[in-house]
Amino acid sequence: MTSEENLIGLTTDRFKPWQRAMLTALACSATTLLATPLLGHLDLANIVMLFLLTVLLIAVSLGRGAAVLAAVLSVLLFDIFFVPPRFSLAVSNLQYLVTFAVMLATGLIAGQLAAILKQKAHEAEVREHSTQALYDVARQLAGTLAVEQAVTIARQFIGAQLEAAAAVLLPGEDGVLPADVPAAGVRIEPHLARVALDSAQPVHDSEIGGSGYASLYLPLRASQRVRGVLAIAFPAGAPNLPPERLALLEALASLLAIAVERLHYVEVAQATQLDMVAERLRSSILSALSHDLRTPLTALVGLADSLSLIRPPLPRPALETAQAMHEQAARLAGLVGNLLDMARLNAGKVTLRREWQPLEEVIGAAIKLLGGALTDHPVRVALPAALPLLEFDAVLLERVFCNLLENAAKFAPAGPPIEITAELLEDCVAIRVCDRGPGFPAGDRGTLFEMFARGREFAARPGTGLGLAISRAIVEAHGGTITAGDREGGGACVCFTLPRGTPPVVEEESA
Amino acid sequence: MNAAPKVLLIEDEKQIRRFVRLAVEEEGCQVSEAETMAQGLIDAGLSKPDLLILDLGLPDGNGIDLIRDLRGWSDVPILILSARSQENDKIDALDAGADDYLTKPFSVGELRARVRALLRRRSRSGDGAGPVVEFGDVAVDLSRRVVLRAGAEVHLTPIEYRLLATLLGHPGKVLTQRNLLREIWGPSYVESSHYLRVYVGHLRQKLEDDPAQPKHFLTETGVGYRFQP
Repeated sequence: MTSEENLIGLTTDRFKPWQRAMLTALACSATTLLATPLLGHLDLANIVMLFLLTVLLIAVSLGRGAAVLAAVLSVLLFDIFFVPPRFSLAVSNLQYLVTFAVMLATGLIAGQLAAILKQKAHEAEVREHSTQALYDVARQLAGTLAVEQAVTIARQFIGAQLEAAAAVLLPGEDGVLPADVPAAGVRIEPHLARVALDSAQPVHDSEIGGSGYASLYLPLRASQRVRGVLAIAFPAGAPNLPPERLALLEALASLLAIAVERLHYVEVAQATQLDMVAERLRSSILSALSHDLRTPLTALVGLADSLSLIRPPLPRPALETAQAMHEQAARLAGLVGNLLDMARLNAGKVTLRREWQPLEEVIGAAIKLLGGALTDHPVRVALPAALPLLEFDAVLLERVFCNLLENAAKFAPAGPPIEITAELLEDCVAIRVCDRGPGFPAGDRGTLFEMFARGREFAARPGTGLGLAISRAIVEAHGGTITAGDREGGGACVCFTLPRGTPPVVEEESA
Repeated sequence: MNAAPKVLLIEDEKQIRRFVRLAVEEEGCQVSEAETMAQGLIDAGLSKPDLLILDLGLPDGNGIDLIRDLRGWSDVPILILSARSQENDKIDALDAGADDYLTKPFSVGELRARVRALLRRRSRSGDGAGPVVEFGDVAVDLSRRVVLRAGAEVHLTPIEYRLLATLLGHPGKVLTQRNLLREIWGPSYVESSHYLRVYVGHLRQKLEDDPAQPKHFLTETGVGYRFQP
C-alpha cells in the first residue's frame, strides 16, 4: 500500500474495495435501467451525458479506482444496451467508437480530478487535525507545574499521533545527558543524543529504527540554550519519516523546550524566594535575640554607673563596687556582642556593605572607639602614601582592627607602641598589627583562629577566644587571608590581606 | 531667668528610663517620660521639650516616623538610642532629622556629654554664631572664606571649602554620608561615597595634627561624619 492510497483510504474507510466495486456496478446498472425507457425520447448523445454524470458522482464519492471501473462499465453498458445493434458489443456505426473513446477519457479524467480534490481535502483535514493537536499540547504544557508532567504530555502526544514511543533526555547540573531513561521503554543511542544536544540540529538514523532504539533525536531548542533532547523510537516496519511528520515533531519539540525552560526559571525563582525567606528569618531571629540580650545589659551598665549620682553620695566602698559592676557589665556586653557577631557571620552568607574608602579612616575610627583601653598603648600608624582606596565593609573592618588592637593591648606590656603598617602587593594589600608582647605560643598557631581557641598560657585572662575567629570570618568574607606570626625583635604580629581590585577614579578639581 | 531645660525621654524599658532620668537630671534638666511612640508624640506637642531622647526600638512603631512627624513642626534636638546592629536605622533616623545617637550599651558619662552638647548648641543657635570658627590651631573666617592654621593661610579647593563649611555649620552633629554627598556634590552623587571619603581625607591632611587619628573631623563608621570643635 502506498501512502497516497493510505491517505485516501482514511476517508473512504467505511467501504472495502470489493464493496466499492459492487456499488459502482450497481450505480451503472441503475443508470442503464433508468435510461432504457427514455431511449425513444432522448438522443443517444444525451444518454451518454447521464452515464458521464454517474461516473463523476462515483469518482467524487468512491475515489479513483471506482471511477476507472465506472468509466469502463459505462462504455460497455452504453454499447450493449443503447447503441444499435442493441444487446451486442458490435457497433454498426463506427462514429460510436469516437463516442466511446470520449466517454472513457472524460470518465477517467473526471475521476482523476475528483480523486485529487479529495486527496487535497484530506490532507488539509490531517493538517488541521495535527494543528489542533499541537494547540491542545501547547495549552496543556502551559499549565504544567513540573518537568515530569510536561514530559508525560509530550510522550502521550507522540503515542497518539504517531504510535511511536518517546523519551526526553534532560542534562543534569554538570551538562551531561543521562545514558538511559528506564521508565520510557525506549533505548537510547547516547552518541546521537549528544550530537543533537551539541549541534542543536535533529539527528535521524533510520538504520537503527525498529529495533527498540530511538532513531530520531530532536534538540529542545529554547530561547537561552538547548534544554535537552527528545528521542523517538518508531515501531518496527514504520515508513520512512515523511517531512510533514518531522515538522510536526519539531513543533512539538519547540513547545516542550519552552515549557522546560519556563519550569527551569520557575524553579530558579522559587529557590531565590526560599533563600530570601530563610535569610530574613535568620536576621530577624538574630536581631530579636540581640535586642533581648542587650536591653538588660544596657540597663545594668547604666544603673551601675548611675549609683555614683545618688545624693547624698554613697560611701567609697559602695562606689568602688558600683564601678566594678559597671566594668563587668560592660565586659559582658562586649562578649555578648562578639557572640552575636559570630552568630551573624556564621549564619550563612555574610552581606557586606562594601564601599571604596581609605584604610586610614577605619583605623582612626577603631582607635577612637577603643579610647580608654589604649591609654597605656599608643598606636603608631604607618601607611604608604600611595595606598589606593580599598573596597570593604567599614563597620566589619572596624571590628577587625578593634579586635586586633584589643588583643595587643591585653597581652603586650604598657609602653612600646602598637604598630599598624600596610604593604602594597601585586593584587592585594597586606596589613599588619604588631606589638611587643610575648608573641603567640608556638604550638597553638594553627588553631588560633578557630572559634573559642585561646592560648593555653592565657586561659586565666578574660576573653572568649572569639576575637580572632570573628576577624578571620570578616577578612575571608572580603576575599582575604589572615595569619599570625612573630615580630622581628619580639612580639606578636597579625597580618591580613585585602584584595586591591580597581578603585574608582575621583576626578581632581580644576581649581 | 533661665528655667531648667525640659527633656522628654521616650523609651519602653523601665530600668533604662530610670538611669537615663538620673543622669539627665544631674545635668540640671527637668525630665518627663513616655513609654510609647504615640504617647511621646503627644507629650512632645504639649510640653515643647528642649531635648528629645528617643529609643529606636519602640514596641508600637518606628521611631523614624516619629522624627519625621516631629520635624514637620519642631526643630528640637533629638538624641537617638540604638543597638549596634542597627546601622541602617541610625542612618535613616539621622537623615530624617535626628541630631546624634548613642549605641547601647552606653555609659552615663557619654550620655551626659551628649546631652550637654545638644543643649548648649540649642541655646547658642539663637544668638547667631560669629563668622569665625576656631578649633585646635585652626581659625576659619566664614565671611571672608579664609582658613588659617597656626596663623598661616591654608589653601582649600572649592569642594574642600564647601565640605568644611557644611561640617562647621553643624558642630557636634552627625551628618550622614548621603546628606553630605547630596549637599556638596548633588543628588546624583549620593551613592558615590568614595568622593566624600577622599575629600574628608584631604581636610584631615590639611587641618589635623595626626590625620590618621583625627580629633575634629571624626568618622562615625558606617554612618557618616561629625565635626567636633
